[in-house]
Amino acid sequence: MNLMVTLIRRELWEHRVLWIAPLVAAALLIAVALGGHAQVEVPRDVALDDRGRLALFALMQWAFVLPQYLLMLIVLFFYLLDCLYAERRDRSILFWKSMPVSDGQTVASKLLTALLVVPLGVFVLALLADLVFAAIIGLRFGDASAFVAWDTRTWLKLQALMLFGLMIAMLWYAPVAAWLLLISAWARRNLFLWAVLPPVFAVMLERIALGTDRIGDFLRYRLFGIWRELGVREGLGDALRIGGERLPRVDRLFDVIDASPVLGDPHLWLGLLFAAALVRVTIRIRRRRDDR
Amino acid sequence: MTAVIEARALAKSYGATRALDGASFTVESGRIVGLIGPNGAGKTTALRAILGLTHCEGELTVLGRDPRRQRDELMREVCFIADVAVLPGWLRVSQALEFAAGVHPRFDRARAGDFLRRTDIRMKSRVRELSKGMVTQLHLALVLAVDARLLVLDEPTLGLDLLYRRTFYDTLLNDYFNEQRTILLTTHQVEEIENLLTDVIFIDHGRVALAGAVDALGERYVQLTVTPEQAARERARALP
Repeated sequence: MNLMVTLIRRELWEHRVLWIAPLVAAALLIAVALGGHAQVEVPRDVALDDRGRLALFALMQWAFVLPQYLLMLIVLFFYLLDCLYAERRDRSILFWKSMPVSDGQTVASKLLTALLVVPLGVFVLALLADLVFAAIIGLRFGDASAFVAWDTRTWLKLQALMLFGLMIAMLWYAPVAAWLLLISAWARRNLFLWAVLPPVFAVMLERIALGTDRIGDFLRYRLFGIWRELGVREGLGDALRIGGERLPRVDRLFDVIDASPVLGDPHLWLGLLFAAALVRVTIRIRRRRDDR
Repeated sequence: MTAVIEARALAKSYGATRALDGASFTVESGRIVGLIGPNGAGKTTALRAILGLTHCEGELTVLGRDPRRQRDELMREVCFIADVAVLPGWLRVSQALEFAAGVHPRFDRARAGDFLRRTDIRMKSRVRELSKGMVTQLHLALVLAVDARLLVLDEPTLGLDLLYRRTFYDTLLNDYFNEQRTILLTTHQVEEIENLLTDVIFIDHGRVALAGAVDALGERYVQLTVTPEQAARERARALP
């Protein structure tokens, strides 16, 4: 336990971008709240009832955290691709290997950092930034901000939902993370190309040879399918139709975003199995690697 | 005395090059052993095999374990410095101590701190800000603070100036070495450490050319100094 904590702290020491980037993003968003001007034009004929206000409130929450999570995904992509390569590049791998830490523990610490520690950290940070943001907006605009009603119950529900969605998403993306780690441990140079080109070539080859797009469909599903599975698209899509016939219903948002189909989805578990296999290979590569 | 390392017919090839070609040797406990040979003789490969960093053929036991399969357990009792500059540049001195304390059950943080206080190294510095000599001192402080049974050093003073080399070996001998500990080191500058060693293993072309205690070797071999004139005279006399 203590060992794993030390290993994860080590990751945060080396890859400072893991925590600096989210901090900067949160700070920027707060700066926007402090100095930014926003004009929201509300169609006059739309009279928002309470439900509509809540929906708008919920949407604003999503909009606030979304850039932070997108940035996190980008940062994690490059972190995973670099973490096992950096120690070979600067030859510090021999120092790490002189410590009684197994290759499995090392790889696990990197995976845990990417799939658990950083997402949780970003979640907490986004939550805090959100509170600060709301407080500043409230102070600056006073009554004018009443258009978007603050509702603590909805807010808590949303946060719980985001945390849950985040954890599921991280499980869903575990195979991608494992693939990046594998490339990081294996490739001698051009890591980005090794990570990206094989899938792209596979898709192109299939199109040329067979004229079908099964691999492409599969990859798209693995990369973006989670959001459909979680029902985010329908939920948000509904909510976005403000002013339309169907005024958004926040309750529905929660109904639509439902965990059980995702947890019951064999694709999630098959993906995790595949990730485990890739991790095993990665550990083997790090153990056997003999760069001279 | 018990054997710390037992190697029988170690073999390892890199492509067509045979780095190790049936090397056999034994290292007893409580000795300071020099693994000596020209560049490319197989010293480093032998060390890497002992440390479980590379796979090789043959029988190999280190502290009763197989380094190829029980590397993690072995590293609790074995310490090594593979080369001077392997500490990562981003690492702070304080972080290095914290890391070692966090993962190594036999690491004594206070002891490492004591070593460092005797140097000009500051806790907040990053490795990349230190001079080459300081990095070695830091690495040595980390290694010497581990209560290990076997210490392996691969060309530990490479790139160090003369003053640091003396300090390095003095620290090693006075502060660290005792009967429970064994030190195995490679160098191609034998004169630098010949007074330090109790045993030597000469390795060439992946085989052990000569091995034994320094005292015994001194008794078995004598140094022969011949001037060219003497040599010519003797040769002339040898002719029929």
